[in-house]
Amino acid sequence: MGFLDNSGDIILDAVLTDTGRFRLAKGDGSFKIVKFALGDDEINYGLYNKNHASGSAFFDLEVLQTPVFEAFTNNTSTMQYKLLSIPRTNLLYLPVLKINSVTTNSKTNSGNDGFVLAVNTTTKTDFGTTEGVINGEAPAAEHIRIDQGLDTTEVSWTFTIDADLKETQYIVEVDNRLGVLSGRFAGVGITPPSFIDDDMVASYYFSGPRPSTAYVNDIRTINAQAWNNASNNNTFPSAEGTIQGPQGTALRFQIESSIDLKNSNFLFEKLGSSALGSALTSFGLSGASTYNYIDTIVKVTGATTGYRLDIPVRFIKKA
Amino acid sequence: MATVFKTFQNNDINSTRTLLHESIPLTGTIVSGTYGGASVTLGNEPNIKNYSHGMFQSVYDYPYLSSSANHIFDLTIGVSTGSALSSSITSQQAKKVNLYNQMAGTLMGYDANGNIIRFDQDGDIAAGGNKIDDAIFINFARLLQKDEIKKGSFNIVIGVGDYTTTMTDLLTITDNGAENNYRTNASVGDYGILSCSVGGGFVQGTGSNINNGLVGLVFYQAGVVMLTSSLFMGTGSGGGVIAGNVPLVSGKTADDSFQTETIEENCNAFRNRINDISFNNTTELNSTIHFCRINNNEFNYSANPTYVSSSKLVVKNTQLDAPVSYFTTVGLYSADNELLAVAKLSEPLKKDPSNEMIVRVRLDY
Repeated sequence: MGFLDNSGDIILDAVLTDTGRFRLAKGDGSFKIVKFALGDDEINYGLYNKNHASGSAFFDLEVLQTPVFEAFTNNTSTMQYKLLSIPRTNLLYLPVLKINSVTTNSKTNSGNDGFVLAVNTTTKTDFGTTEGVINGEAPAAEHIRIDQGLDTTEVSWTFTIDADLKETQYIVEVDNRLGVLSGRFAGVGITPPSFIDDDMVASYYFSGPRPSTAYVNDIRTINAQAWNNASNNNTFPSAEGTIQGPQGTALRFQIESSIDLKNSNFLFEKLGSSALGSALTSFGLSGASTYNYIDTIVKVTGATTGYRLDIPVRFIKKA
Repeated sequence: MATVFKTFQNNDINSTRTLLHESIPLTGTIVSGTYGGASVTLGNEPNIKNYSHGMFQSVYDYPYLSSSANHIFDLTIGVSTGSALSSSITSQQAKKVNLYNQMAGTLMGYDANGNIIRFDQDGDIAAGGNKIDDAIFINFARLLQKDEIKKGSFNIVIGVGDYTTTMTDLLTITDNGAENNYRTNASVGDYGILSCSVGGGFVQGTGSNINNGLVGLVFYQAGVVMLTSSLFMGTGSGGGVIAGNVPLVSGKTADDSFQTETIEENCNAFRNRINDISFNNTTELNSTIHFCRINNNEFNYSANPTYVSSSKLVVKNTQLDAPVSYFTTVGLYSADNELLAVAKLSEPLKKDPSNEMIVRVRLDY
């Protein structure tokens, strides 16, 4: 994709996305534009020099020189990072999403700093007690947990996060060919996606906090005892939380392997690779058995605060 | 409440219609028989496609076997059963009649009795008058005409010299004035009257088939031009603008050519006389304009991962500093948050609480 000519007037290069064309072709009224958002995918705010010696006119000199790509037509390739509307202008901190890799059953795998999904129980058995491995055939207690809040030590974790900075809805995007979301660790079965786009990317929406649901909870209610200021002498419960400042909500879910992955090697041959267990020791495998694997990304986006996190997930199946 | 979307209000979305025009010049070198070099004979040029059924001929801008070739137009001829020629046609009589009926039926339509309406020279069907019964048809490809030929822009120059030196005399045929004077009584849409200027070496014959230089019709939406074969007949032989008969197929008048030669031969002979064709096409663009109104208190923060460091905004030193963000993209979304269209700015735009802006995104359909 080329860059847009930025030598003259500001121009706007507008295209329908593949999903837009798909919906337009369906002719069922699903192509209806009702809202807009602004994106800044190309911008690196690290170039913003707020201490520039020549003054404020030079703060954003490099940012404004950023070349901009032509429009991508793939709906999942663009608008990855959005601008936020918050009426207050005095905010110094914004919430982020982080993988919680400290609680017992949500620890990440050391092989990819993400998670491994053992496609079947046979494969899961080979991992033994390795952390960050979810049984994709019959998930047990292991799950993925994303925490939200102000990840700073400059604002005490004992403070309550402002209501307008607390995330209340999450969007999880998963390649639907590979897996589906569930919450069996909390007694919730497979969740149907809200929709599946033309690239087979399934989007799931989870709202909360709802104490009774598995998916979205207030962080401080998941293990309320651990967050009790008095009982832990105002010491940050590092075995419970990963967000250092005021706590928002947590999203917890599991992934179950798709029927295609469980019953066929087609997708492994098409999208993945294979290796001996001895070459996958960083993931917790060993031995002379061969394993097929596919690396993918699970995207989690805060629907209201806009922050997005990409979680690396490796689907592994014993050959 | 933080939010990343802003919902359009009723007055933020507007629809417009724009007509775009392109100039289409077709030089005679592509069609008149010289393509492929001197050794290639008329009818065997690599950019001319003939069919075994022999009912029409296709003209390309490049050897048609190449994937780079573009279809420009088709040529054919037709003869009405009402023509004096029709009963004495000795070559492809049925096909010539069928083609006329197909073209007339499609373009002009049928009368109250179910009879095909013949092409009328001045478009006044009710008044009777001269009919065009022996016609040459040029059917332009949609690639060129797009939605329609622009009224008043059509121009064709035909060589009416001797058969071997066709271009020594040039006759210009146009639809001059059709912007404000065209007909709407055909079933296929609007059409204009093609005329050539009488004078400058061309004359109006007495009692001719061609009154006032009216030599054909151009159907704008259908992209079809039809010319009367009488164009090539001398003023004394039923023509109207050329003093003597102009041979269509070598050694034969237009009437003779229509009667005794195949459609393909007639098309070749007519192509041999095309000096130049030009017109403007029209593309009808229906646009929806989305006015993205960005108020001073909106979109001043970003969810970009580089926007914060340990949750602290990198663009602020203190709480009192104004937030600032830069955007490069406008995404248009459905109610279920699916990205339906995307617009990119050529350079980042700064947004902070001190400014407001309207970004106008136009989607063409």
